[in-house]
Amino acid sequence: MTESLYSITVRSLYVSSVASLIAFTFAVILSLATSRVSKKKAEMILGIFEALVGVPTTAVGLLVYMLLFPKGPLGVLRILYTPYAIIFGEFLVALPIAFTTMFRSIHDARESVRELVLSLGCSEKQVTKLLLRELAPVLTSSYLTSFSRAIGELGVALIVGGGIEGYTNVLTTAIALQTSIGNYEYAIWLGLILISVTIALTLILKIIGEYLIWR
Amino acid sequence: MEVTLESIWHSYDGVTYVLKNINLLFRNPDIYLLVGPNGSGKTTLLKIASLIIKPSRGRVAVDGKSFWDLENSSRELIRGSIAYVHDKPILVRGSVRYNIELGLRLRKRVDESLVRYYVNRYGLREVENRNVNKLSAGQAKIVSIIRALVLRPKILVLDEPFTYLDTARTKLLIEDISRITEEEKSLVLIASHYMYKDLKNMANQLIEMINGEIQNIISHR
Repeated sequence: MTESLYSITVRSLYVSSVASLIAFTFAVILSLATSRVSKKKAEMILGIFEALVGVPTTAVGLLVYMLLFPKGPLGVLRILYTPYAIIFGEFLVALPIAFTTMFRSIHDARESVRELVLSLGCSEKQVTKLLLRELAPVLTSSYLTSFSRAIGELGVALIVGGGIEGYTNVLTTAIALQTSIGNYEYAIWLGLILISVTIALTLILKIIGEYLIWR
Repeated sequence: MEVTLESIWHSYDGVTYVLKNINLLFRNPDIYLLVGPNGSGKTTLLKIASLIIKPSRGRVAVDGKSFWDLENSSRELIRGSIAYVHDKPILVRGSVRYNIELGLRLRKRVDESLVRYYVNRYGLREVENRNVNKLSAGQAKIVSIIRALVLRPKILVLDEPFTYLDTARTKLLIEDISRITEEEKSLVLIASHYMYKDLKNMANQLIEMINGEIQNIISHR
């Protein structure tokens, strides 16, 4: 093992934060676009995404592998075994959880925020802005949950990233590799870093979020 | 400004009509009182007159123009003259001050002196930086009323404005309603269970509703 803990940690943070940010953005857009549907349809949409949350990351990894395989439908992109492949896979893993943690709140709050904006003689265009501000704590939690899901998954990173040292090796793949070769002490250190990073980032974002929200 | 409701019918579920064939004319500067038991359709009628809800059937005209047939830009212009206060206050996360300024912030024209005037008048100075979820029901109600008053609307619509208010604040609000009608030439629509004598005397019309229909209209002028 020649790669430093630092570079593995930085790569993990980069890959997972980008993947979860894209998933979060997609989830916000999707939630807003579907927030006007009836309660019954909303429950149906939510049910589909809740089912997708439970899909094993290895299954997602396999799907992404088939898509990105040189002869696959997206093979032309030539991103298999690169950090981009992991970002794509982790995006798919994080999207359902980001959506399910925000959709119900957006759907339920939309009508009252809309009424409030119109009652103040303002335009429909201002509803989204106020709605997102109003739901900032929910959205912060949603992002953190999707980030935790992305940084903690192994299936995608291993199957489409390959755990290539110095290139696609992230914390979870490094832990798996070190454990498999009997280097338990190193694996434990990696595990502690993974847990610490997740907790620290959650706390920092929560504190910043609270400050920005309540000021 | 003049709001005309012509043959208004409204249903939320497409089956039961909460408003049935309503024909009314509201003209400024004047006060109109809407009375009736719970579920008589007062709130729905006020929301339709405030251009928040589009009626299932019928025509809502503002100064003779059919509002719901207008383009978005024209609608927004007209909406800018109206403020509606919900019976159950809708407050957003943040301080009392933020909530009072919300409408002004959305319109990008905060009038500090007017906000300060109403904050002091209704005794909210001590709580203006407090989080709204720590307010009493009466304080929350008055915040939502002030939020509408600072907009200086041409049409002010108040749904059960006196609920939760103490006697002193009720008196202040009645004074303000009277003042904005006389000085600012605004039109004020009020739905209320409490029929204060002063308010009743100031009103141009008292409209009684039962089961979604106009039961009686008493004109004072």
